[in-house]
Amino acid sequence: MEQHIDLSDFLTNYFETKQCTILSREQGQIHIQLTEEMDKELMNRPFYWHYIKKIGREGEPQTLRLITDKEKTNEPGEWIHFGSPRLHQIINKLIEKERYTRLFEQVRTSENTPLYPWLVVNIKISYLGVQHKDEIFSVGLQLLHGHMTSNMMDFLENMTLDRSISDYCYTLTPMITPKSGFLRIQNLLRQHVQNQDNAWAVTSIKQLETEKATLKHFYEDELDHPRYLEELEALEKRFKPRITFQVINGGIFYLTASSN
Amino acid sequence: MDSIQIQQDNQFINDLESAFHDESDLTNWKLFRMAYQAANVTKRPSFRGLQALEYLPHLDFLDHQLQAAEQVIETMHGRAILADEVGLGKTIEAGLVLKEYMVRGLVKKALILVPASLVNQWEKELNDKFLIPAIAHRKNYSWEDNPIIISSIDSAKRSPHREAILDLDYDFILVDEAHKLKNEQTKNYQFVQGLKKKYCLLLTATPVQNKLLELFNLVSLLKPGHLGNYKSFTEKYGKNRKKMEQDPYLKKLVQQVMVRNTRKDTSLNNSKRKIHTIWTSLPDSYEKVYQQLMALSFGMASFAKITYLREFCSSREACFTSLVKLGAHENAAAIQEIVENIEQLEQHPKAEKLVEQIKSLDGEKVIVFTEYRATQYYLQWYLQQHGISSVPFRGGFKRGKKDWMKQLFKDHAQVLIATEAGGEGINLQFCHHLINYDLPWNPMRLEQRIGRIHRFGQESDVHIYNLVTKQTIEEHILSMLYEKIDLFENVIGHLDAILAELKVGSMEKEIESIYQESTSAGEVRIKLDNLTSVINQTNMEYDREEQYKDGTAH
Repeated sequence: MEQHIDLSDFLTNYFETKQCTILSREQGQIHIQLTEEMDKELMNRPFYWHYIKKIGREGEPQTLRLITDKEKTNEPGEWIHFGSPRLHQIINKLIEKERYTRLFEQVRTSENTPLYPWLVVNIKISYLGVQHKDEIFSVGLQLLHGHMTSNMMDFLENMTLDRSISDYCYTLTPMITPKSGFLRIQNLLRQHVQNQDNAWAVTSIKQLETEKATLKHFYEDELDHPRYLEELEALEKRFKPRITFQVINGGIFYLTASSN
Repeated sequence: MDSIQIQQDNQFINDLESAFHDESDLTNWKLFRMAYQAANVTKRPSFRGLQALEYLPHLDFLDHQLQAAEQVIETMHGRAILADEVGLGKTIEAGLVLKEYMVRGLVKKALILVPASLVNQWEKELNDKFLIPAIAHRKNYSWEDNPIIISSIDSAKRSPHREAILDLDYDFILVDEAHKLKNEQTKNYQFVQGLKKKYCLLLTATPVQNKLLELFNLVSLLKPGHLGNYKSFTEKYGKNRKKMEQDPYLKKLVQQVMVRNTRKDTSLNNSKRKIHTIWTSLPDSYEKVYQQLMALSFGMASFAKITYLREFCSSREACFTSLVKLGAHENAAAIQEIVENIEQLEQHPKAEKLVEQIKSLDGEKVIVFTEYRATQYYLQWYLQQHGISSVPFRGGFKRGKKDWMKQLFKDHAQVLIATEAGGEGINLQFCHHLINYDLPWNPMRLEQRIGRIHRFGQESDVHIYNLVTKQTIEEHILSMLYEKIDLFENVIGHLDAILAELKVGSMEKEIESIYQESTSAGEVRIKLDNLTSVINQTNMEYDREEQYKDGTAH
């Protein structure tokens, strides 16, 4: 699935949700007043905060001026774009921090309405070797009847979801524990992986062996040379085939029967 | 599939359950969704192909540049010598490779070692073109805290930098002008050898394939053992053998780690360049001013004079503008007189010839290149007076404007008047005629101009017309330089190698200094003669070599 995002919208959304104030947003430029928390997250100045705390003062969070339009980069501010450390920092923060959730579908009702528990897991599978690719799965498992669906995030897209439960709604207790639900999901994905064409891995192993032999030949008489060992390690890093599962995020979602 | 290690994320579900105990560990829907989006944007969807292209929509790569980057990543696995001839875009290829690895998240820390004189240029190029936030190393910058640093090798290898750098784990190392690393005994070599690196690019324009031991040393930086070790290599090839080409097996090995595009490979053979020279001469009124300009030089740097002469051959306006800019100098009276004379002049003889030529093309599209902005304006006006529609084009236009102009040219106008071909210009293959309204002194620039229409995928022959004014500096350059060394068709492929061999830095500078240091026209002629004949001779040697290569390599 190819996804493109509008950087300007994305960043504005991010900082707003993080309780920062957007001081201005014009074409290609965003000026943000950070909160103390976000200053600590992004600005990399632990000494300042340490010092401020020591002398018992209120710190002053910085403002951040981001430029998303390349044409505007001669103006003051920090240019942000794909490949820029700042965007990667934010993306990494998102993936690091926004990992767990519990959400409730919002319903307007005056009748008692049951909500069904779902385990939702977004997971990235990386195939790493001579070449490299990723797959992302969004899997939902209904914890009452064990019904499983992929593209769960697309499915949730049209709902209103919130951290607190709507009036007159109540949650049903899962029959399947999240732990065994997660096991089911992982098993399914393992099966998927095993059904994949593994030519990439075969190539990687071949390549690694050839490269190792070549390297060995160069250091023939001094196989304990530190550079030999370093190079050997670099080869493993570049070529050894492996598959990693990495959960992007996940949580328990309580949804109405009509969504089942 | 069993032998592949699958690393599962078993911890997640435990962490999720403990997160439920503390509400503050839980996120809301908006952020949850954004994290998922972020992961999707940064994922790599398939084994093949360059992802970075999506992030660089403003760049227009040439086919051989894309192929080179792909080859480096997909078949050389990120360790390669980039040895394209000058002007084919090694920097572009290297930048693209680096960008690709960064986009995939495989490179976070990179060190770029270039000659001191090129540090700023690299910084600008990586930042402006590739949106890679590389910084030039300056005093007291931390090697550790800055993710992408450009530095000269000379300052990097000095203490305390050396120790700091050798201590770090780099994902990516790039060395420009890597032919300087040919000797394994030098400090530079040992320094680069000692760097801890995952990916590594060595850039060189000087053909290294002719000196086997140097080649061995370079390859051993990238892939130790690829050419054997020192002992086996020298036993097999001897210490003094010179030509890689004599050994097809060795050649093949080298090709596995080296990308070398030559102009010969990159321009298509099935479409040809047809070169035409169109002569004009100065009418008396113009001739008079030309002579005045010639006489003007006293007290001025002679090169400045040459500039005015060239401008004058291009248009009244170009010369006028820069003379006026000169303002109140010591020659003010003389300049004033010339300026007044220029104001009296009728239309430029070359412009008239240009109209004639364009009309003879029966409405076919044509690009007109000039060196001067003032000439560009003038020609646009002049063509319009003759009922010929044209659009302007400059390298400095923003991308959107460039595309718009290209579209206008394609759909509505017969003529595109351009001042600059360089860089990430646009592809104008639908056009088969190019008029050099004036000739650049840098042959590489000429090649870039022609490259706009004569490139991969061009199926028709292309016609190049050079407008030249007799008995002026233009004739001089054409006959001394371009014709003698057959620059248009022949030599350009070897030019950089030749210049490197002759230790000539840049053709343009060389010619400038010839003019500057000569006291008479005769001396200029003799010096240019010498230059061209040396170039010709070296070129013939290269040709011979190539014939030899063609005969044995396959």
